[in-house]
Amino acid sequence: MPITTTRRRLLAGSAAALAFPAFARAQGTAKPRLTAISQWSAGSDGAAITALGKKFEEKGGVWQHSPVPGFTTEMMNKLRAQIMAGDPPACSQLKGPEIAAWSKIAPTVNLDALVAAAGYEKVVAPDLAKLHKPGGKWIALPLQIYSTNMLFLSKRAMDKAKADKVPVTWADFNDLAEKMKTGDVAFPIANGGTRPDDGQKFEAALAGISPLAYRAAIMNLEKKALEGPEIKAAFVQVRKIADWMDPNVGAQHFSTNLKRFIDGDMGMMIMGGWAQGVLRNAGFKLEDFMIAPGPSDNGKPVFLLNADAFIFWQRKEPDLQAGQTLMAQLVMDPAIQTMYSQITGSIPVRTDVDLSGEGWSEGQRTTAKALKDAIASNQAVLSMAHNMAQENGMTAAMIDVITEYVKNKTIKPEQAAMRLAEAVEGAR
Amino acid sequence: MSNAATMRPGRPALPEWVRRLPEYLMIWVPLLLSAAHLVSFSLWTIWISFTPSTLVPVAGWVGLRNYSAVAASRNWQIAFDNLLLFGSAFVLLSAATGLILAILLDQRIRGENVLRSIFLYPLAVSFVVTGTVWSWLLNPGLGIQKLIHDLGWTSFKFDWLIDRDMAIWTIVIAAIWQSSGFAMALFLAGLRSVDSDIIKAAQIDGAGPVRTYRRIILPSLWPITVTVVVIQLQFAISTFDLVRALTNGGPGIATQLPALVVYDLMFQRSLLGRGAAAAVLMLLILLAVLLPYAAWRYVQRRRAAHA
Repeated sequence: MPITTTRRRLLAGSAAALAFPAFARAQGTAKPRLTAISQWSAGSDGAAITALGKKFEEKGGVWQHSPVPGFTTEMMNKLRAQIMAGDPPACSQLKGPEIAAWSKIAPTVNLDALVAAAGYEKVVAPDLAKLHKPGGKWIALPLQIYSTNMLFLSKRAMDKAKADKVPVTWADFNDLAEKMKTGDVAFPIANGGTRPDDGQKFEAALAGISPLAYRAAIMNLEKKALEGPEIKAAFVQVRKIADWMDPNVGAQHFSTNLKRFIDGDMGMMIMGGWAQGVLRNAGFKLEDFMIAPGPSDNGKPVFLLNADAFIFWQRKEPDLQAGQTLMAQLVMDPAIQTMYSQITGSIPVRTDVDLSGEGWSEGQRTTAKALKDAIASNQAVLSMAHNMAQENGMTAAMIDVITEYVKNKTIKPEQAAMRLAEAVEGAR
Repeated sequence: MSNAATMRPGRPALPEWVRRLPEYLMIWVPLLLSAAHLVSFSLWTIWISFTPSTLVPVAGWVGLRNYSAVAASRNWQIAFDNLLLFGSAFVLLSAATGLILAILLDQRIRGENVLRSIFLYPLAVSFVVTGTVWSWLLNPGLGIQKLIHDLGWTSFKFDWLIDRDMAIWTIVIAAIWQSSGFAMALFLAGLRSVDSDIIKAAQIDGAGPVRTYRRIILPSLWPITVTVVVIQLQFAISTFDLVRALTNGGPGIATQLPALVVYDLMFQRSLLGRGAAAAVLMLLILLAVLLPYAAWRYVQRRRAAHA
């Protein structure tokens, strides 16, 4: 009995020893596997990442994805728990300055070789590239871009207001809102009541009034700019917007009001490009609304950049490492970026993707052109409301002031400007 | 085991502590484990509150800096004011509602069991559900106000949910709906335990029902009232899910409560040190309620022992 076992083991062992090199050659390395966590805040997000997973599986990978409902901050709680347990996902969503902050608490993968092989650096906007290579090394890859200050116009509300011109400056915008108000549009502005909603109205106002002031005050936190007249002017504009909104939104999501927007009960919406994906996912037609860059007082488009990205965490397992390589290649692939953006309504990070073909909407072409123009005139800035300009703590401190101002109409614009400067000091 | 013992009477009896070992194990092991769990994590939170931790816990010492930052923030100040208002209004009103319901139920009415279940039932609903349902009922564009408008009374106004001065009262309303049944149950038990001989004696002396309640029954309820108040107060201090679902601290930051601030600092802003400091402040507020209660209980027991 013991002899047979030994013999059997011996046979099995030698067979394996003989077979293994061939096996390894055939397989190359381990079968790629990827553990990924991502946020899930809009229906189109989910659809797009599922499609990405399908592509990953088509290339022979094992896709282990856990979506977390909510915004980036909700996803971070899961990420924090996993990192602290010593089991980070091979890849997770993360964006903006948080990439640099989080890369200090757990080791990340150096993607320089893969980025160089794909020639990705040449086709990414420089400001954006900087966010993804803290310390000079690529550790995260942006996949899609949104502008947070796109202007959505309801066709029916425009008809009610007998208007056909898309507003360019804030003065045009205010005129159109007044016309809509007198033209029986119940609320000229469609909006949700969440914190990012309120933050977006402020950043759109400030960047539209002066991109220079926005860069100095919000991105660089310069004290002088924070106390400057542009901040007060932005708060004045935000108050106008707030007065045109439905006060009953409470803490609702912006998508709750999309039907009223399409029906012409609400006229305009200042929202990120993702609203297009949400509108389309909810079954509304592209001819029911128009998309334009948000109001800009100097006439040239201002682009508030928001980019979703994936960061790669160091793992020892060969199959996860293979999965990371495959995932990185997919994320940088123009075909994948095209597929992804066409589902979500965003635009690709790669500036060399041609958007003239079928599958792209007029809104996306407008957005891509706005980005190109904004980069040319140095008016592409990073979004505060969506955590691209500052880390979460600072962003939250600013939005506290803004959201209170939107909801409390007894606060004067100059008071709000002062509180904003104080909040920044307090959060530094 | 006991069978075996009776079968062999010659065997010496087990020592007392061995015989009671299962009991000790059943009581002390879970108790020590949960106490250690509670105490160790509380101590850990206190330690974190003195460190510069942000994204993840780190070692270091910043003294009281986290505490001063929390205390100086508008969010915390608003939350603290709200807690005073919400805590006192909720505790008083829910106790009053519970007492009235209990007195009404105590009139030997038909269907008492059914009514009692109905009033107690909200307690079985989770706070998130309560908050969500009330957020619809109280939303002027969807709920009660719209219903009354649709019925024809178009000047009717009930928009507390979006009025930043009144929004805190919507939380009071929902919280009372949820927990006055609990107060009712305790009061009802108290009412039923009043000695019937005393009540009969009062009736013989010619006291009417109102006077009987005011002079005899209600005064005997006060130990229960203290219990109700303390339990409701500690609920009020730790309220989180209800506000999160009902107003999420809004409009703006008008309905912030301490628990929301803790969550916000720790998990939304990734400022673990400050979040821990806010959590410790909450613990201190709780102690401010519980310690006097414990002292009162102690004095009561001493007095009872001496009597």
